[in-house]
Amino acid sequence: MKKYILKRILTLLPTVFIVSVVVFLLVHLTPGDPAAMMLGDDATMEDIAALHAKLGLDDPLIVQYIRWVSRCLQGDFGTSTAVIGQKVSDMVFSHFRPTLCLAIYSQLITILLAIPTGILAARKRGRIADMITSVLSLLGISLPSFMMGLGLVLLVAVHFRALPAAGYKDLFTDGLLPFLRYMTLPALSLGFIHAAYMMRMTKTSMLEVLSSDYIKMARSKGVKEHTIIGKHAFRNAFLTVLTVIGQGFISALAGAAVVEKLFTIPGIGTLMVDSIEKRDYQVIQAITLLIAMLNVVINLIIDLLYGLCDPRIRLE
Amino acid sequence: MTDTILSVSNLSTSFRTDRGWLKAIDGVSFTVHRGEILGLVGESGCGKSVTSQSIMRLYEEKRMVRYEGTVMLSGTDLLSLPFSRMQHIRGRDISMIFQDALSSLNPVLTVGDQIMEPLRIHQKMRGDAARAEALNMLRLVGIPAPETRLRQYPHELSGGMRQRVMIAIALACHPQLLIADEPTTALDVTIQAQIMDLIVFLNRQLAMGVILITHDLAVVAQTCQRVAVMYLGQIVEEGGVPDIFDRPLHPYTRGLLASIPRMDGDRRERLHVIDGTVPLLHQMPSGCRFAPRCPYATDHCRKEMPQLRSVSGGQSVRCWREEE
Ligand SMILES: Nc1ncnc2c1ncn2[C@@H]1O[C@H](COP(=O)(O)OP(=O)(O)OP(=O)(O)O)[C@@H](O)[C@H]1O
Ligand SMILES: [Mg+2]
Repeated sequence: MKKYILKRILTLLPTVFIVSVVVFLLVHLTPGDPAAMMLGDDATMEDIAALHAKLGLDDPLIVQYIRWVSRCLQGDFGTSTAVIGQKVSDMVFSHFRPTLCLAIYSQLITILLAIPTGILAARKRGRIADMITSVLSLLGISLPSFMMGLGLVLLVAVHFRALPAAGYKDLFTDGLLPFLRYMTLPALSLGFIHAAYMMRMTKTSMLEVLSSDYIKMARSKGVKEHTIIGKHAFRNAFLTVLTVIGQGFISALAGAAVVEKLFTIPGIGTLMVDSIEKRDYQVIQAITLLIAMLNVVINLIIDLLYGLCDPRIRLE
Repeated sequence: MTDTILSVSNLSTSFRTDRGWLKAIDGVSFTVHRGEILGLVGESGCGKSVTSQSIMRLYEEKRMVRYEGTVMLSGTDLLSLPFSRMQHIRGRDISMIFQDALSSLNPVLTVGDQIMEPLRIHQKMRGDAARAEALNMLRLVGIPAPETRLRQYPHELSGGMRQRVMIAIALACHPQLLIADEPTTALDVTIQAQIMDLIVFLNRQLAMGVILITHDLAVVAQTCQRVAVMYLGQIVEEGGVPDIFDRPLHPYTRGLLASIPRMDGDRRERLHVIDGTVPLLHQMPSGCRFAPRCPYATDHCRKEMPQLRSVSGGQSVRCWREEE
């Protein structure tokens, strides 16, 4: 297992390198002089040149890249060019918590919703339960998340007045109950599309596993039906579902902008949209890097979980 | 030898398909005695697997399958048992082993877990007791270093080892009856012989009945006391191995025996020398099912189906030619 973990981590290094180069170049190749942008319209040529020298913008690209990487490794992402004096790391960090909490909550809902219904649909193939889940999953796949969000707001918040229509409460400073009250609708609209997908994947992989020989063997041993489903079948079907969970996490983190805007949640998505409007390149760069690295980390975690769940992979 | 364990009579199994209900096996009857190995042979698709899986009621989807007839196991009719009772029979009184051990063992569970499972279910064994019994079983089926094997996963074992593990799982609760559905087809020749020897050894050691499904008539000749020959969902001939091999009565059995490869040849060769092809289930002939391929078929054969009738010395045959 140790060898497997080490191998997984080593194979990530090239990816991390390429991602960092791309993110670095992304900002350096965008038109416009960041120094001129920081100083505003009425800056003199001398001022701009002085800032250039101070920021090292005239150094060769390689030197700039190495300097940037070593700063990033120390958690220093520079200062914002739009909000004077603000450290980028502070801005990103404070906006990251709502996004992360929202992503985790929405994925929890997704998993708890999709996996049991997927299993149920596989068990009751061709019956009403199966039909309902098929319709729901079709709905989930064809409905964009902002439509889903709007619909939920209209129904639950406006019509039934059951939950607030927008706003943010933090899990750690405001407590669990306010968090759940405010975050359930955003989490649902963020997770629904993925829940539909996960449900279908659970169903198809369960169906495949249930028709396999080792399930027949387990039945011929006298294993009870619920143990067949829970122990023999789901453990195998879960291997497919695990990948889907990873994808869900990534898309919940990277794709939260629409939902965050809709529910006015001060998350990474909101910060990204604001920074794009203000051309705050330092922040954009930091967020892009963060999302890309999260992608890598989540994939690593999924790989490791995969190794944990599937003995055939672990030993290779 | 006269102690009957299993008595199947008039067993028919139908599946619901797009074309309506199809009878995969039709009126199958046979018995298995304690300590006996009964061979079940016939061409591919004749219903050997359906017969064995119907005995264990492994086709569980109620609306998709229909059983008729009776399957008496030591005095209880399995087909009329409630499903929950059937689960207690499986693995405790009847067990089954399959052709491909790699796909029949759960890839994510250890060998130990899979052997101990029937012990936990049927004998309520826990912890060390279950472990000790699992080790016993692994030793019984001839697996070296059983303590290590217990912690391993199926993919870590060789093909022959996996087959032994599957046998150990099936026999963990010492069932009265073992159904082996082509247990050696997926193995190479030397391992095949070892596994067959093991099955014969265990059959004597545990005094259980065995139904051995196989394509290999040479194996039947070496290991079975009796043999039943199936054709298109029916048993066409049944009897003691020496009788049937010396004096096959049904033209189909004769064809099969004529197509037997010589003992020094490649024993894995499949049996397909009889002329003609097997009709599909939904276009079954109304008379004798073998008539379209039978060199002796008469109009009578084509019109009316013969019944399985005993002739002499415990041999029975389903053929009009033997009626006189
Ligand atoms: N679940 C099912 N639904 C519909 N038809 C089936 C089903 N299982 C088996 N059959 C049909 O029943 C017939 C007998 O199949 P079976 O698997 O018993 O053959 P077999 O004698 O075991 O052949 P083989 O030697 O290839 O294993 C075949 O025509 C098959 O198509
Ligand atoms: Mg078969």
